[in-house]
Amino acid sequence: MPRNELRALNLPIADELAKRSGSKPRVRPLECQPYAVAGIIPKLVFSPRSLGEASKIVATIASEGAAIVIRGAGTKQWRPPHPYEVDVVLDATRCSGVIDHTPADLTVTVATGTTFAELQDVLRAHGQFFPNDPPFAAETSVGGMLSAGLSGALRQRYGGLRDNVLGMRVCLSDGSIAFTGSRVVKSVAGYDIPKLFVGARGTLGFIGQVTLKVAPLPREQCGVVGSFARAEDASDAAQRLASSPLFPMATTLHDHAAARHVRALGGQTSEWTLIVRCGGSRSSVSRQVDEVSSVLRASGASTLDVLDADRLHFAWSDIAELAGGEIYPGSQHLIFAMACLPTQVPAVLSAVSETFPQAQCTAHPASGVVYAHVAADSGPRDPFAGQLERLCAQERWMLRVLAAPQSFGSNVRAPLPADAPVALWRSVKASLDPSGTFDPGRFLAGI
Amino acid sequence: MLELLVPRLVSILGAANVTTAAGDLSNYQYDGSADRALPQVVVFPGSAAEVAAVVAACNEVDCPYVARGAGTGLSGGAIPEAGGVVISTGRMNRILEIDVPNRIAVVEPGVVNAHISEAVKGNGLQFVPDPSSQAACTIGGNVTENSGGLHCLAYGVTAHHVLGCEIVTTQADIVWLGGKTVDAPGYDLLGVFIGSEGTLGIATKVVVRLVPLQQERRTLLAAFATIEQASQSVSDIIAGGIIPAALEMMDQLSTQAVEEFVHAGFPTDAGAVLIVELEGLSGTVDALVTDVREICTRNGSHDIRQARDEVERERIWLGRKSAFGAMGRLGSSYYVQDGVIPRTRLPQVVGQVAEIGRRYGLRIANVFHAGDGNLHPLIVFDDSMPGEYERVVAAGADILRACVAHGGSISGEHGIGIEKRDCMTLQYSRADLALMARLRTAFNPRGLCNPAKMFPTSRRCGESARVSASAHVAAEVERAAGTAF
Repeated sequence: MPRNELRALNLPIADELAKRSGSKPRVRPLECQPYAVAGIIPKLVFSPRSLGEASKIVATIASEGAAIVIRGAGTKQWRPPHPYEVDVVLDATRCSGVIDHTPADLTVTVATGTTFAELQDVLRAHGQFFPNDPPFAAETSVGGMLSAGLSGALRQRYGGLRDNVLGMRVCLSDGSIAFTGSRVVKSVAGYDIPKLFVGARGTLGFIGQVTLKVAPLPREQCGVVGSFARAEDASDAAQRLASSPLFPMATTLHDHAAARHVRALGGQTSEWTLIVRCGGSRSSVSRQVDEVSSVLRASGASTLDVLDADRLHFAWSDIAELAGGEIYPGSQHLIFAMACLPTQVPAVLSAVSETFPQAQCTAHPASGVVYAHVAADSGPRDPFAGQLERLCAQERWMLRVLAAPQSFGSNVRAPLPADAPVALWRSVKASLDPSGTFDPGRFLAGI
Repeated sequence: MLELLVPRLVSILGAANVTTAAGDLSNYQYDGSADRALPQVVVFPGSAAEVAAVVAACNEVDCPYVARGAGTGLSGGAIPEAGGVVISTGRMNRILEIDVPNRIAVVEPGVVNAHISEAVKGNGLQFVPDPSSQAACTIGGNVTENSGGLHCLAYGVTAHHVLGCEIVTTQADIVWLGGKTVDAPGYDLLGVFIGSEGTLGIATKVVVRLVPLQQERRTLLAAFATIEQASQSVSDIIAGGIIPAALEMMDQLSTQAVEEFVHAGFPTDAGAVLIVELEGLSGTVDALVTDVREICTRNGSHDIRQARDEVERERIWLGRKSAFGAMGRLGSSYYVQDGVIPRTRLPQVVGQVAEIGRRYGLRIANVFHAGDGNLHPLIVFDDSMPGEYERVVAAGADILRACVAHGGSISGEHGIGIEKRDCMTLQYSRADLALMARLRTAFNPRGLCNPAKMFPTSRRCGESARVSASAHVAAEVERAAGTAF
């Protein structure tokens, strides 16, 4: 879709908006450069302090026919596909802070730019946490985390990101501000639209505030680490645990190369490492550790180690990043995730390593997801064509590309399932963002 | 319209699966709510392809249609208010696949909720959502209404237990939203489809998650002098980091009605009782029981009973599940509300509900999913008195106003449908509703799929929206379904 060149209108709009919204934009290229998205420098950058300010900016920019790219902490800007156009960046980081937290209600409402780390700090002081462990945990904003829709391994017990989002206040491309969902833990009044915004990558509107469902921190936590020679055995152990009443908080499986990034393990040497995170009351956790250990042993674990709460916490800061995060800061890796049936995890691991012998792989075997990090120069140019694409179609594995270096070309695309409901996606986009203002091209199928 | 449509439907489904007989149609005019409206045709497709062909036929002649499971809904979601075709999922009642290693099952929409758990119990698994009507209600209806249940406090509602749905769109296409795996690419259309009250399409297959059964379970019944004491105990339990599998509260009027009805062993002299169910690994639950007993005692409970065996446990739960049915003993009819509040506001809101009852001169019994702040005030009334029902609806609306004023919601699990659509404006602004309307348009541009549900009409909240007839219907549906809500 051709758009108006904004450059000519640049300053008048900027001035007028500065007056009307109270948010003074960055206009000089040097100022705008740090807000680049996938290397494209925007012409204007607004950093509104509230949803009200954002709404005025959005309405004006959209009426000019320009494209708005929403940006949080910028941790996932390399995730393809990249937007076609980056006229204006709406920087969400100044819409920040906890708006409401009533611990006994198990809900918290925060502004979109609040960092995930800050949210967890506030909750921890009350013995609670937001039960998700997305990558980029140290920097990512809550809005960015939701828009990217990356759930961590904790979804085994607590559900994915979307399952813990209750309500949102959003701004649409006509500048209207709408509340959707609810502020209580249970509601069926109207459509559950917050779920639609989770994983929408900014393409439907600007998330201003979110109400999240939080969980009490388990009184005790502990990790059990097992070493395995074969992925099949480790995955089998994980499935037996997931089908048992032990209800682990999370289970992660790492190949040799990935396990080396978990500093708390102190240099694992085995082929495969399975980590089981247990939580609950003191008596429950000690029972869990015993039973998990015996399942791992029976499944062929060669060595077992138990991580106390501190070591587990330290380990988890690395483990979360192995699921799509930046494990080599500054470097560019091809990172993708493949969802499958839980019992297919070993097959996916072997298919991935056949195509990418250098891949470092982590799996969440109970949920059925494999994450692969591939160094930029070690894979084929058209990475998913061939065997992987065939397997995805045949086995209904769901591939998502989480980051792609420029050396692979600017827009590595994952093959979509042939029967994906693309017509409905288009229809939803056209209905919620008829002017095509938000993050054009950043979703799938050209949306 | 009908002259054209009925022969088409007969050619698609066969004469045996299409009915226009008045006696048949009258069975499809109501659900568990007070509203009713007659369809012109009822059809019984046996497959997704047949559902799609029916939808295409309806589209050709601009005829509205609505899917229907067991008809146990409580807000009018399956009532064919605009006439047209009722698409019964009654014949699509097979469990297609149970995949124990991957903890999923694929079922048709007409499968009865409780049948899934029965089918997988031997494998140590269960399907968690357990609405009180679970012996009769179907998965298709659960998906459509995003049903909750007594045990959703710890495990979540239907949306958390469905991985994918095959649906027939309003364009009569058959597509999958989600699937058997997590993280299907694209917008989370499954997330908005669940709980869309049949307005976005018709589910023809559902992939449900199966969850391991717990090893050990303890069920406590704690009696309190006042609702405030019981509410404080609820807050203290949650604040103490304990998430029971279920945490239910009943006030004195409900326990008295239930005792006469099923003799569950509820102390009828207590102002409120709490039912607390705790689960976990064997040998670890008693520690939680001790904590909960301490909290209840500290808040003034001097009568805490623990179910000694499964028989006693079942009796306690039968008592709770019979609460709606037992109201029939107090008056000829009852009207149930479904508001939600932040659980810390329970004492204030309960006080306001009592005040509303006094103001309208109506008896209101209270049953709560206290753990998640979901109230079920039951307004008891005599439907034969002229104008009584209208007063009851007005009182119900005042209760919802109180819930919204405390930051809550007008429905926790029963849905909006016809019954509460005019109260949507209490909770949502014009812009909020416009966003919902945009979503409906994206899926259902012509509005033929379950028209007029969920969105406000020109009536005000609290004006009776009853299409016709009486609240006796609720009791009739209950009998037909063979279960107590």
